[in-house]
Amino acid sequence: MKQISNFNTKASSRGAHFNTGNGPAMLPIDIGHKTYLGLMDPDAAFWSLVAKGSLDEALASGGAFMKKFLRCRSKFLAEMDTLRSGLTPSAVYFNPTDRCNLNCSYCYIPETMRKDGASMTPRQLVEALGILGEHFARTLLKGTKPQIVFHGAEPMVAREAVFAGIVRFEKDFQFGVQTNGTLLDDDAIEFLTSRGIGIGLSLDAHVDRIATRTRRRWDGSSVYDSVVAVMRKLRNYPNFNVIATVTRENMRYLSALVDFFHEQGVAVCMLNPVRCTRQGARDVRPADHEIARYYLRALDRTYEQFQETGHKLVVANFANVLVSIMAPSARRLMCDISPCGGGRCFFAVSASGDLFPCSEFVGVEEFRGGNLFTGSIEAALLSEPFKTVTSRRVEDIDPCKRCAIRHFCGAPCPAEAHEMNGGMDQPGAFCGLYEEQVRYALRAIANGRQDAYLWDGWDKGTETLINISSL
Amino acid sequence: MKHQTKAVIAFRKVCKAKGTGLSHYILMAGKEK
Repeated sequence: MKQISNFNTKASSRGAHFNTGNGPAMLPIDIGHKTYLGLMDPDAAFWSLVAKGSLDEALASGGAFMKKFLRCRSKFLAEMDTLRSGLTPSAVYFNPTDRCNLNCSYCYIPETMRKDGASMTPRQLVEALGILGEHFARTLLKGTKPQIVFHGAEPMVAREAVFAGIVRFEKDFQFGVQTNGTLLDDDAIEFLTSRGIGIGLSLDAHVDRIATRTRRRWDGSSVYDSVVAVMRKLRNYPNFNVIATVTRENMRYLSALVDFFHEQGVAVCMLNPVRCTRQGARDVRPADHEIARYYLRALDRTYEQFQETGHKLVVANFANVLVSIMAPSARRLMCDISPCGGGRCFFAVSASGDLFPCSEFVGVEEFRGGNLFTGSIEAALLSEPFKTVTSRRVEDIDPCKRCAIRHFCGAPCPAEAHEMNGGMDQPGAFCGLYEEQVRYALRAIANGRQDAYLWDGWDKGTETLINISSL
Repeated sequence: MKHQTKAVIAFRKVCKAKGTGLSHYILMAGKEK
């Protein structure tokens, strides 16, 4: 049985003090705010903001703050335990083809696969969805609709197969498509939007010359105009978002990009630091202090936009960090937690039916857990390749094991850690960025501004477990 | 709205965990048909 608390009954300490004996850790951190310090119990993912000058009161043994906190601590720990080890996969990132009509510099799919890889026929895709449906019928609660996100590579290269699968199974799954947008003609847009299917586009900059530095066709030519044209057609569609991958090439223009998204009526975007799984991505990897500067400025800009216009542009990856702080179980994205969601909340299927913990591992043979067509999903989920990902915990990584914000970061991502830094026991690529991002989130809370960054109704279905406003 | 200084700000909300996403795709504000 997993030990939730690290209270050792063989030690005679009663746990009556913070930071010694069996007492919980309560670590102060500077968050860059003029009034407040952060005070964190990292294991419970508990945070508080204490007015400078009141730290002694907050840390007082047997004080009011400690009593209120200790009454809830076991619930915090239990919540984190469930979040980190108690979930069942309910989503699949499904690559109907390994091929892509673009050659983006940082892609995590190997070039050979993108040029000449497999593509599913409609019959194969329908068969694959049938197998997945049977699996989820066995493993999920009745009435839960699993998610299938067509992903890649470029899923619309296998459009006929994708649409056949959607038509056959539209009552059984919640579908989404992450696409470069270049193959979305009006018929495809009508097909997807009339069914309420989620559409994610990719665009890295507000102007062609910057966007084409990283996202382009095989001949190097631009796709900017065609992607922006699709963005405009999807303007009022509620299930639509845009992902920008942030690299050295576009980081200086993030504020201009969020202005552009806002003008275009985009409601949800992501500004994802480039995943450094492959060398092409590492070649455009920005330094943490630099990307942090531009990224936080872009977040400031979204706050200003909301104040100026009343319309929000949610930067979803940041919103997820903010939610993970205020309501850990309400998070939507499972990249910045350990173990991450790979292999335990979702898994990936390649165009050959190979099973991987996450799309980032597609093409990394040692992480193939099995094949959908020739083996069982259950066996793949329990395979050694999957286990190396699902057992990766911050408590086993330096410096994460000592970090006050380890459960708001999670040391993403295991694919990066393995390919870039040499192993699952290593951190990912952007430790420094997470330090700044979490501090920014805490400052936003300190200033009472957090709702400006969050999607409406983010806390629907939550209840408040603790609320302390005095010492 | 004037933001009053409190000695401490600390809150936590809980719900059933339903996290499924990875950073390559987000379904956030969407309405399921």
